[in-house]
Amino acid sequence: MPGRGKLIAVIGDEDTCTGFLLGGIGELNKNRKPNFLVVEKDTSIAEIEETFKSFLARSDIGIILINQFIAEMIRHAIDAHMESIPAVLEIPSKEHPYDASKDSILRRAKGMFSAEDFR
Amino acid sequence: MRVDQQLRLDEQLLLFMDQLEALEEKRHKLNSLIEEGWFSIAKARYSMGNKQVSSLQYASEMEPLVYIETSMLEDGTAEFKCERKENKTEELKSNTIEDIGAKETVSGLRRRINTIQKGVKEEDQETDPQGKTKAESGESTPEHRDPLKWFGILVPQNLKQAQSAFKEVITLSAEIASLQSAIIAIRKEMQGQMKEKQQKTEKTQPEMENE
Repeated sequence: MPGRGKLIAVIGDEDTCTGFLLGGIGELNKNRKPNFLVVEKDTSIAEIEETFKSFLARSDIGIILINQFIAEMIRHAIDAHMESIPAVLEIPSKEHPYDASKDSILRRAKGMFSAEDFR
Repeated sequence: MRVDQQLRLDEQLLLFMDQLEALEEKRHKLNSLIEEGWFSIAKARYSMGNKQVSSLQYASEMEPLVYIETSMLEDGTAEFKCERKENKTEELKSNTIEDIGAKETVSGLRRRINTIQKGVKEEDQETDPQGKTKAESGESTPEHRDPLKWFGILVPQNLKQAQSAFKEVITLSAEIASLQSAIIAIRKEMQGQMKEKQQKTEKTQPEMENE
């Protein structure tokens, strides 16, 4: 649909995805591709990374929400993403509380005061 | 000139700190709202049954009710605004109710006659293959579009609470995304200015030493 806004995508555990879908972010496009991935015990890292990259490549996605423990699995892919759209937001999960020191954005901001900047 | 640059750098640093503080505050709120949502989902699952409220119950057709309006500002920051389609569905709901009411009052006929007429109308619609009925059936009704209905018709209050918590989380996440983008942009600008300042001091230092 032309002219409409962008979508929010989610990569997370079942309850996180259920919650956000309840909030009304879910979409299945014409090719039946969802804008969310429910990560279960048997979901491989390759699958997560592939989905994350496919979300980055989609022009109709504005924000990607990802559980921090899943973000840890594909940290290199998240760190490599430098564009402002889509924005990547790390959120806590039930078993793993949010740790600001692991967040890609905050680590970048912290780098502001590292020794490298003064060289 | 140098004093100006230093002052600007100081101002930016203060702005950067303010934004970081705002981000931390919003993050804290987001995290507690998500936790509240999970807790409500868990409570709903407890009252509905262990296998309820799972990914197996997601609808086969999904239409987003929230969109994000993105815009790029001059300083390179991206702004995210959350827009909800909910008002439209409410309008649709009220329209359908009004339609039913109007038909009944205008016709003023007994139910028996009414049903016969309706039957004739339905037949007409069936014979017309490109009629309005097909177009209307293609559009999902507001009831079907509400994700709450995927999990049952009479869902517990907890699930509704979870839904409202996650709705707030979605709005908040758009605000956080804007803040993150602003932080990254200001950081880039400051880094550039700091390098410039350093180069200038390196240039002036040998001159001072020579003197």
